[in-house]
Amino acid sequence: MSVSYRPVGWTRSKIVYDAVLIAGIGLYLAAFMRSAPRGRPAGTLLDDQSLAIKAYGSCAFLLLTLVLMIGPLARLDARFLPLLYNRRHFGVITCTVAAAHAMAVFDWYFAYSPLSPWVALFATDTTWGDLRGFPFIPFGLAAFLILLVLAATSHDFWLNFLTPPVWKSLHMSVYAAYGLAVLHVAFGAFQDARNAGLPVLVFGGSTVLVTLHLAAAWREHRLDRRGPVDATGWIAAGRIGDVPAGRGLVVPLADGSSVAIFREGDALSAISNLCAHQNGPLGEGRLRDGCVICPWHGYEYRLRDGCAPAPFTERVATYKLKLEADMILLDPKPNPLGTTVEPIAIGERGR
Amino acid sequence: MAAPAIIVALGQAWLLAGLAAGVAFLLFGLDRRDAAARGAYGFRPLLLPGLVLLWPLVLWRWLEPPSPSRQPSLRRSHKRAHALLWLGLACILPAILATALALRRHDIPVPASVRIDTGPSERDE
Repeated sequence: MSVSYRPVGWTRSKIVYDAVLIAGIGLYLAAFMRSAPRGRPAGTLLDDQSLAIKAYGSCAFLLLTLVLMIGPLARLDARFLPLLYNRRHFGVITCTVAAAHAMAVFDWYFAYSPLSPWVALFATDTTWGDLRGFPFIPFGLAAFLILLVLAATSHDFWLNFLTPPVWKSLHMSVYAAYGLAVLHVAFGAFQDARNAGLPVLVFGGSTVLVTLHLAAAWREHRLDRRGPVDATGWIAAGRIGDVPAGRGLVVPLADGSSVAIFREGDALSAISNLCAHQNGPLGEGRLRDGCVICPWHGYEYRLRDGCAPAPFTERVATYKLKLEADMILLDPKPNPLGTTVEPIAIGERGR
Repeated sequence: MAAPAIIVALGQAWLLAGLAAGVAFLLFGLDRRDAAARGAYGFRPLLLPGLVLLWPLVLWRWLEPPSPSRQPSLRRSHKRAHALLWLGLACILPAILATALALRRHDIPVPASVRIDTGPSERDE
């Protein structure tokens, strides 16, 4: 962010988002603690501590699966975008529930060891040569460490300090955390055949998750392949009628970058398609008062000069446009940051 | 020293080094490195866990000469990595789950119920 940092930039929508999420978690945990003992065979009642471990663990896995669905859902259907705006809160809460699971395991299985509990954690569960009884705790520990790093670096300071590409790469390790969590569950709780609900949760969740991510990747691939890719001179970006109402026309360029062309009233403007914050797709943002609002985190940029309104200082590149009949021509060279480009009037051609 | 004890000792050393580097950065590096942090103190405790965990990265960024104006990215290079990662997961996850399903234990013995009798003195009361 370009203004003074705050611990959390609370807004009404963030408070509602967090309240709904925390209430949902509370309801899940209460329902699990109440219903799980009833589904077990006679003579296999769980102690309260083991029940809590299972409740926190399954809740953390469910939350991780859900938080990973938000990105592709928002890419495929704009109605899911409100879930995306506060996804970092979702991630931090997921890490907190995973921490509750880890602490419950630590307190119940390792706290009474004659060894130091931390040494005991690594000294047990070492049957690496046998798939039956394969150690599953290291997978869970590695997944938790990744979630901890991601939660600890979720503040905007880290985005600025590490730079958006490094921060984004770091946070993509959440996919590795999911893979490790699946391994942890698959070789842990999954091995008890009396547990009927877990396979449904893990199989169903991973199938939906993989399908959503591949569908979103395919959509991106199709968008990138669309349109002209001539990087020399002016390129034909599309017709006036191709610019969607209230959204941008995304034009991929030969160098891998992309430009978003917007129509506001009877005028057209073009800016970079990538938000300076986290490289969100500005072409999918809404227009308000001459600014485009990034669909990911609400950063705003004026269409005329690509600058965020004061007091913010983020900037994105503007591009030159011209019209030939109703064909929009785009100069693929980005202007220096802060360059004002007057919107081109459509006149009668856009009607 | 046994391997578990070495792992724990290395972890403790990492966290101690991170604590020293993190506190030093908060006291001497943050204001110079990021203008938006000047005069803002409430958010600083939130940074400490990340500073402790990622201290080599923090030192590297702290000691690196600051670039006067960073150009925003024009390309979203992680899109390709995202597609490749999920193609990989689409192959690996079913294999893991199928293996785990094949290994499931159906023969876990259920212990017989044991009746807990109350003692004669309690029964007499």
